[in-house]
Amino acid sequence: MKPAPFEYLRADSVADALAALAEHEDAKVLAGGQSLLTLMNLRLARPSMLVDIGGLAELDRVFSDSDDVLIGALVRHRRVETDPELRALVPLAAAAAAHIGHVGIRNRGTLGGTLAHADPAAELPLVMVTLGATCYLESRADGVRAVPAEQFFLSYYTSALRPDELLTWVRVPRSRAGQGWGFVELARRHGDFAMAGAAALVSLDSFGRVYEVRAGLMSAGETPLLVSGPDGVVGEVAAARRWDELAAGWTAGLEFSEDPEYARALARVALRRALTEAATRAAAP
Amino acid sequence: MSWVGRSAPRREDAQFLAGRGRFVADLGDAGALHAVFVRSTQPSAALLGVDVSLARARPGVVGVYTGADLAGDAGPLPTLHEPHPGFAAATRFHMVDPALPCLAVDEVLYVGQPLAVVLAHNRHLAEDAAELVDVRYADRAAVTDATEALADSSPVVHERLGGNEAGRIGFALGDVDAARAGAHLVVTETYRMGRHGAVPLECRGVFASVDHRRDRVEVWTSTQIPHLVRDALCRVTGWATDDVRVAAPDVGGGFGTKANVYPEEIIVPVLARRLGLPVSWVEDRAEHFLAAAQGRDQVHHTRLAVDAAGRILSWEDDFVVDLGAGSLWTAGILANTAVHLLGPYRMTNVRVHGRAAFTNKTVVAQYRGAGRPEACFALERGLDHAARELGLSQEEIRRRNLLTAADLPHRVGLPYRDGVPIELDGGDYLACFEACLDALPRAELTRLRAEHPELAVGYGVANYLEATGRGPYETGRARLGAGGRFAVAAGSASAGQGHQTTLAQVAADALGVDPAEVDVVNGDTDAVADGIGTFASRSAVLAGNAVDQACRELVGRAEGLAAQVLGLSEVRLRAGVFKAAHTGTAAAGTLTWAELAATLAPRGALADEPPLDVTVRYRPPTVTWTMGAHAAVVGVDRETGLCRVLHYVVAHEGGTEINPMIVHGQIVGGVAQGIGGALLEEFRYSADGQPLTGSLADYLLPETTDMPPVRVVARHTPTAANPLGVRGAGESGTIAVYAAVAAAVEDAVGAHLTATPITPALVWRAASREPVSGRAG
Repeated sequence: MKPAPFEYLRADSVADALAALAEHEDAKVLAGGQSLLTLMNLRLARPSMLVDIGGLAELDRVFSDSDDVLIGALVRHRRVETDPELRALVPLAAAAAAHIGHVGIRNRGTLGGTLAHADPAAELPLVMVTLGATCYLESRADGVRAVPAEQFFLSYYTSALRPDELLTWVRVPRSRAGQGWGFVELARRHGDFAMAGAAALVSLDSFGRVYEVRAGLMSAGETPLLVSGPDGVVGEVAAARRWDELAAGWTAGLEFSEDPEYARALARVALRRALTEAATRAAAP
Repeated sequence: MSWVGRSAPRREDAQFLAGRGRFVADLGDAGALHAVFVRSTQPSAALLGVDVSLARARPGVVGVYTGADLAGDAGPLPTLHEPHPGFAAATRFHMVDPALPCLAVDEVLYVGQPLAVVLAHNRHLAEDAAELVDVRYADRAAVTDATEALADSSPVVHERLGGNEAGRIGFALGDVDAARAGAHLVVTETYRMGRHGAVPLECRGVFASVDHRRDRVEVWTSTQIPHLVRDALCRVTGWATDDVRVAAPDVGGGFGTKANVYPEEIIVPVLARRLGLPVSWVEDRAEHFLAAAQGRDQVHHTRLAVDAAGRILSWEDDFVVDLGAGSLWTAGILANTAVHLLGPYRMTNVRVHGRAAFTNKTVVAQYRGAGRPEACFALERGLDHAARELGLSQEEIRRRNLLTAADLPHRVGLPYRDGVPIELDGGDYLACFEACLDALPRAELTRLRAEHPELAVGYGVANYLEATGRGPYETGRARLGAGGRFAVAAGSASAGQGHQTTLAQVAADALGVDPAEVDVVNGDTDAVADGIGTFASRSAVLAGNAVDQACRELVGRAEGLAAQVLGLSEVRLRAGVFKAAHTGTAAAGTLTWAELAATLAPRGALADEPPLDVTVRYRPPTVTWTMGAHAAVVGVDRETGLCRVLHYVVAHEGGTEINPMIVHGQIVGGVAQGIGGALLEEFRYSADGQPLTGSLADYLLPETTDMPPVRVVARHTPTAANPLGVRGAGESGTIAVYAAVAAAVEDAVGAHLTATPITPALVWRAASREPVSGRAG
């Protein structure tokens, strides 16, 4: 379990990193290393060049002076999980981050890293899709481009990120009054890859009627999936049974490769529980 | 007050907690060569060629050796255990030696089988070269299911053997057919236990170097059985015993997978000797999942007949053990499974038949319990099945069948593996079971149900019986050092069990001193020339009594010497001081151990006497039996099938406990491994033989979050079978977990569970299929 030989460059600036990515065709960005290094040690990934961005303090920052929160790619999962400001601004992300591996993994793993890795069983990609976040991708050739999270994830471990691009920032809408969130992950053990998982945001008006629902699933396809449809419950005062009907409807068309009957049942349960949690929180004074 | 029986703090912990342990990977210096093994990627194939030319040409590579290169240096691995002829005759025991080569030469039998080895200046360079070894295979059909392997139509794993039957065993007691014919109820079922294993924190590893001055190879290996490794190494290489020293450094867990002899333990010393250079091999986790011995993997076809009151009339089991490509412990696993099918119950009519089969999967050794958990699962699940049909509770059917004080000791009518007729030497098995129930009363269940309204909460019990302290012997040594301290050694090797602490406690009592004055060395062929090792819940019994006996003989000799020094006819050691045997002896002086040591030193009064150094072989008359009862409360999420063990109790008839805290730790750790096997762990293979569990992300070990509080009730029941009165307890925590957890899940979801691991998908299907039945009892 030793990696194949590779070259290593520690970037001093974003520009430095972008230059290295532009100049080396099969370079890989090293941030927290929680997925990449395992793949390299198993020799399943064999980049000829590692561009280490771990020293770029500029990407380890959070800005929250607008309706949106701007989170740097190097912000660690543990900070998303425990930082009081982030917990208040993006509680869904904080709840989801607590399910990522174990504390040691969360201390090192980064937001940019998990999004770029694009694992459909990962927590924060699902959260970003559910929140309607925007990813900022930078390259030396084309500067910055903004890609909505829903369009960022293309397939298993495949994103819109080009080989010469670095994911630098993520823009996330902050939690609003009247909005509740729910996150449910079903796993064999705490910290394992999810058998099923769901994230949900439910917003209620002052009469308790639903005016917005966004909900998504992990481990339910090639990418994190936004499953809430326009046929939803907008305008209704939703009872518990209604959320179960919606969860059933929104998981009915999914395709699962392994044990589909059970996988669908789990997805439905996770989604119903996440929606119910979100609605309960939205209704709480 | 004696030291035995005290929860003395573990002496070894300070060094481990401070990071000062010395494991195989800590040995050697910068000059050591690093070995990497090239392993088969195919489950079954003829080896057409192994081209190492590109690998040899890599920078930093010192040598690359194939099976053909080394076949002359090391023959096939020898079997580690054969049963006593008396047992073999009584059970019609037969087995086949798979004669697994150290490195594959002309065929490969499982993915992970070593077929070549690369030596380089570091592990990175060795791995770079290893991937350049070009292996050409001609694939053959593989078989991965033991029952299929025993069918005539199956591909044959070892073509040389012509079939896949690795061994067989069978016996009958009483008149099963007549008993069953008169039964009120007969239940038949097939039970399966999945393949899983030890997966210790530290993987395997071997370091070998040559002591050129003595022309001797010194081998440090992460093993539970250094003496058996030494014996096997000498046997397959033809080296003399004096050519080799084998020692276990600190070992980070064994649980049976390291009570084995491996190709790497032969090849690394062979290369060290051939090159005259130190060679290190440290197994990584990926290799461990492919090549370290696995366990369990049994299927039991059972038939249990009971009367209307639930009393057992007859019990039949026909089982199959999957040994993968082979096992050095075929006899142990088959015999353990067969014998432990009897359980702690009144049983007069029994028919057992078992077979072991070769398949194209990784080799198998004894994993904590080694046949006992599988036998326990079949019998206990069978009792639950019968109870359900009769409308009895799990508890009641057991009450009606357990052996009581009036039944014990109990002769079964069958010899044990050592040829001695089995006599269960317990106290009161029914009382132990009731103690377990008392410790986990129904009221507790009500509380847990209220605490977890989202879960269906079920209750399960299971009993086990285990033969512990298997012989034939263990070596013990006690020596008085020149400074008055003691050195104690045994053939056992500690893989974390705390032998430093417990053997010092035993010695301290026998010598009348504080344990701090006793140094313990074990797991080293230089410390005692001969020994067996640590496995099968045997070290407290065998090594404990061996050290006790050696110390007592040392005291006897010392008393004679002290009498000479003091000018007395008879001297006794009392509270660590040598005194006249008869009070009132005029003008009698006293002598301490330190003073006695001084008289034996050069220029001392007894300088011409041989040193006080006693080595004994302790031979127990036969095994001693530990019985226990487990109770589990499991919460089931019926919508997902996910299970959580909420509470656990073990009551056991341990004997004298040398260190109750260490016994407690053994039980709790054993429960953790049992929960892993019951709910989480499985080495999975595709139908064509490719392993599907290659990392700790696929193979799920129980974590702290999976562990319930565990309460242990020790019913001290010293045995007369050995002077210390100890019984083994190393496997007590594990054996009955599978059955108890399955019973609790079954109680929660209302469907009979017949296989482990009890996966969420299995539970979900059981919960959706069956309506919730009324909970019996």
